[in-house]
Amino acid sequence: MKLVKTLSVLLLIYTAAAGILLEVPRLPILNETIRVLYFHVPMWFTMIFLLLLSSFNAYKFISTKNIKYDLISYNYAHVGVYFGVLGIVTGMIWANYTWGTFWTNDPKLNGSAVGLLIYFGYFVLRNSIEDESKKAKVSSVYSVFAFSMLIPLIFILPRLTDSLHPGNGGNPGFNVYDLNSQLRLVFYPAVIGFICLGLWIANIKFKLLKLTDKR
Amino acid sequence: MINKIFSILYKDLKIEINQSHLFFSVGLYVISSIYIIYISYQPTGILGLEHWVSIFWVIILFSSITAVSKSFFQESGSRNYYYYFVLSPDELIFSKLIYNFLFIVFVTFLTFLVFSSLLGNFIYSYSFFITLLFIGSLSISNCLTLISAIGHQVKNNSILTAVLSFPVIIPILLILIKLSKISSSEFSWNIIQDDFYLLILLNIILIAMTKILFKFLWRN
Repeated sequence: MKLVKTLSVLLLIYTAAAGILLEVPRLPILNETIRVLYFHVPMWFTMIFLLLLSSFNAYKFISTKNIKYDLISYNYAHVGVYFGVLGIVTGMIWANYTWGTFWTNDPKLNGSAVGLLIYFGYFVLRNSIEDESKKAKVSSVYSVFAFSMLIPLIFILPRLTDSLHPGNGGNPGFNVYDLNSQLRLVFYPAVIGFICLGLWIANIKFKLLKLTDKR
Repeated sequence: MINKIFSILYKDLKIEINQSHLFFSVGLYVISSIYIIYISYQPTGILGLEHWVSIFWVIILFSSITAVSKSFFQESGSRNYYYYFVLSPDELIFSKLIYNFLFIVFVTFLTFLVFSSLLGNFIYSYSFFITLLFIGSLSISNCLTLISAIGHQVKNNSILTAVLSFPVIIPILLILIKLSKISSSEFSWNIIQDDFYLLILLNIILIAMTKILFKFLWRN
């Protein structure tokens, strides 16, 4: 955990400094907004990573019936959804400057909004059950099911149709924009830094959850 | 295993025919909602293809949710207890999948008949559209069966089944709507094949997930 915390602090300081200061490719329309890549995309990577951990722990719960895994799974889902909301907000700010509007009817945007709705459904489901063991069982099953539907929603569906969003509709990711690998220099550290930050937050939240939990 | 699946299925169908209130109530639900659409689109009727397709699938979605969420609730507690001894979870869930599929096929074709007789018809390539209706019913039933099994575990559940199933069913419904729009013009395999494969892929994921997860869910 200590390594994760150190990595998170160092890499995020580096991301914040280098992300603002380093040279980026000059492209029409995008201009300086291309720097959003360092903050917006890592949010989604972190969300997917945390939700993967969540559903993995949910599966561990239903196969071992150890209630601890259910709490871990709930905790990761919670933090993951925060990162998803942040991803949507940063994306909306970026869209306002490049597309001229906060929200458009685009497959990638719809997919991510629906993906978040699935997880809001998960929280509604958890709150609607009184009995603790039943709550754990039912919500774990739903969590695994929801995650398996999230993957086609975010990764497969938008790639099949034309999309405004960079990296979709046949666009090969962000390789188009960084011919001189300038962006990768900050992007990969940013991804690792934000994932470490997510793990750190989840760790603290889990301690808090264990203290407030009456079981 | 096949024998047991079909005996459960036969029992479900027999109960359905004897009681038949669910059958008729879902039919009435479909007809009355289409009639409301018909009245609200007077005097011109539906003019655009987009309206036709989206209203068509939304009606199918809502009536299937009504139909499928009942399929687990009609089992009484003592009968469930009996199932634990004689059936494996796979047998039960596959019989439910087939039963829901049959029910949704009925709902879909009833909707198509009433809808096209009252509101006109934009479909050009019928053979493709009817195949699409079958595959659509299959996907909707695959998606809703596990969700209704989850809803069955929760008291106060009819709203919850709807809330949980909407986000999960949206990708399927988007593909179905897109394919239905294509079927209003000349059919060509090249246009649809990507979406078609994706639909089949989603079905495989859904069936696999239902089979894996139901055995954890059904015992109390």
